[in-house]
Amino acid sequence: MGDRSTRFLWPILGLPAMVWIALFFLIPLYVVFCVAFGTVDPIFRSPVPIWNPLEWQFTQVEVVWDRLFGPDNFYLPAVLRTLLYVAIAVVACLIIAFPVAYFTARYAGNYRGLVLALLVAPFFISYMMRMLAWINLLQPDGLVNTIITLGGVVPLDINWLSGNPYVVVMGLIYGYVPYMLLPLFAALDRISPSLIEAARDLGASGFDLFRRVILPMSLPGIVAGTLLISLPMMGDYFTSDLLSKSPNTAMIGNLINLSIVAPGQAGQAGTLLILVLLVLLIPMVLYTRSNARAEVRS
Amino acid sequence: MPSPPRRPVSRRRLLQASALALPGAWALAACAREQPLSGPTGGGSSAGGSASGGATSAPAELQIASPTNPVKWPINPGNEPIASGLEPEANATLRLYNYPDYLDKAVIKDFQKEYADYNVKVEYSTFNDYPEALTKIRSGSIPYDVTFMSYNYMARLVYGDLIRPLNHEYIPNIADVWEEFQNPWYDQEWQYTVPYVIYTTGIGWRADLIPEDIGARPNPYDVFWDSKYAGEIAVLDDDREVIGMTILRDGGTDVNTADPATLGAARDAMLEMLSLSQPRVTISGYTDIPEGVLSLSQCWSGDMITGQSYMPEGVDPSVLRYWSPPDGRGLVNSDFLCVLKGGENPVLAHHFLNYMLDSDVSLKNFSWVGYQPPLRSLTPDSMVADGYIPENLAGAVVKPEWFEVGYPVLELPPEVEAEYQAIWQQFKAGA
Repeated sequence: MGDRSTRFLWPILGLPAMVWIALFFLIPLYVVFCVAFGTVDPIFRSPVPIWNPLEWQFTQVEVVWDRLFGPDNFYLPAVLRTLLYVAIAVVACLIIAFPVAYFTARYAGNYRGLVLALLVAPFFISYMMRMLAWINLLQPDGLVNTIITLGGVVPLDINWLSGNPYVVVMGLIYGYVPYMLLPLFAALDRISPSLIEAARDLGASGFDLFRRVILPMSLPGIVAGTLLISLPMMGDYFTSDLLSKSPNTAMIGNLINLSIVAPGQAGQAGTLLILVLLVLLIPMVLYTRSNARAEVRS
Repeated sequence: MPSPPRRPVSRRRLLQASALALPGAWALAACAREQPLSGPTGGGSSAGGSASGGATSAPAELQIASPTNPVKWPINPGNEPIASGLEPEANATLRLYNYPDYLDKAVIKDFQKEYADYNVKVEYSTFNDYPEALTKIRSGSIPYDVTFMSYNYMARLVYGDLIRPLNHEYIPNIADVWEEFQNPWYDQEWQYTVPYVIYTTGIGWRADLIPEDIGARPNPYDVFWDSKYAGEIAVLDDDREVIGMTILRDGGTDVNTADPATLGAARDAMLEMLSLSQPRVTISGYTDIPEGVLSLSQCWSGDMITGQSYMPEGVDPSVLRYWSPPDGRGLVNSDFLCVLKGGENPVLAHHFLNYMLDSDVSLKNFSWVGYQPPLRSLTPDSMVADGYIPENLAGAVVKPEWFEVGYPVLELPPEVEAEYQAIWQQFKAGA
């Protein structure tokens, strides 16, 4: 009797999550496919989804493909730009977050809880609000310029919000650094202090200790953090929209957003989205596989 | 660049293969029947080739109104005007659908007071641009009563049976409107619309940040290609306005052209602009210029007038400037009000249209939104003297004769609109 009830208990407990995923992920994803492989109303140029996969058309995919790799490949610069921005931001997040996470895990002692809480505090404010705050700080007469010019003494006239790629990357770093911190902390926290002591006892220098013990053991955290922040960064459009508004810093997310709001191009937005999804699926699959393998090993 | 020979079949194979890589239903895509390839011509949208798949049985083309081709729109069967002499709906919620900051909230309050006997409530919803508005109106999810539109959507509004013809007996205030707007080319005999405001597209700037007189340049539009102002300037986030301005800058006059050579040249010029002056693309010039975030921007004539109320402390509003071609040979347009068919309060909506045409109401609204209504009581020649517009923004006054010589942004056939969209997308992709 008991056996039977537990056999059904777990699937029943999992049901809400399944329903959730079906309703809010699988079905919407299917709609995206139907729009991407659908047609366009000839007069209103609104998307006309094709629900039957047998009748899917690939004209929109062709258009996107042409714009990526064809002779008129004006999507490509934005894609390369996105990859570059994300790569820089991920590395910078790592450099910023690693020492902080290491300190918190190893040396914060009794204040750990407090330090962690403070590090997580930015989560409580929405990403949008934090970017809006940056607009205020970076305005021509904002706090940043006031400090740099020592209150107007140094004659420096920097307009940060004028489509500056550094500002966009800075916004990405600032916005996503907390998401990098937590997985790093979790990984570093798991390293047993006795391993570090053992390495020291065996004569490892500080650098050796880092290179041969801490870094390899924190690798899962680094990979998790990298994935966690690069996935949303790939689709990010409002950082560029808010801090730059210039086409010169347009990212893939901006292309998708623009296609959605422009009449007749929802299908292209869907196709771009599917492409991004496909590309991002690869590291996700690799990550889950390596995780699964690591679990088997342990 | 000459395009290399296409190999569509192998490419489709590739696409199908990538579709296969996904689990589940998409695998079926590989079995999709061979489709004749309707090569999308840069424009990207398959407007032409997709007619068979479209949900609507559309006529071959939209009728397009223009000053040289005035149109009296048909009234679709079942969409007759409301009867005369009806009482406004009581306890109603009148739903307005408009741009943000494009109608004075105080005017809305006044309207509610005026119709307090009927216990009227007004709800103001906003859209970011017309395509979004059109999509939401068509979806019918919210029964908006009144919307504010431009004539480059007129044919689609009528064709889609989205708007209601007006019963003129409810709108006596039309008599106060400039004569040419009582029988406009975009809606002969004003069957569906009443005018809202008129505006030009030009250049706005702060004189203390931009020391030169932009209007004194041989070609003022060149300022957007001047690397001296890189990073300080912006163009409007509106494909038609930027493409139109570029065509005018290069000596053209047809801002609604379908000519591939002209459009190609405009695209190249716009990409050149990107690399020279790195403009931002935004419609928030009416706050960004006063605040000094931008020094100069392409903007509409009302933007600098309303911008006076966004000046930071210590900066005199008299530093604001606006230029549009003083002979009126620039982008000159108007917006209108119309009653939506999906609305629940057609009688009240008629009353609202009439209310907005009232001279006092219209002037009050003008002083807040900064956009000029085409009213008889408002003489363009004396607007500065009468104190409606300050001396430094005299260029923002719109004159009636400009509608004879100016260039309106017209509705485009869908396939031409697709070309404009493609140019815009390339521009905004920063390529």
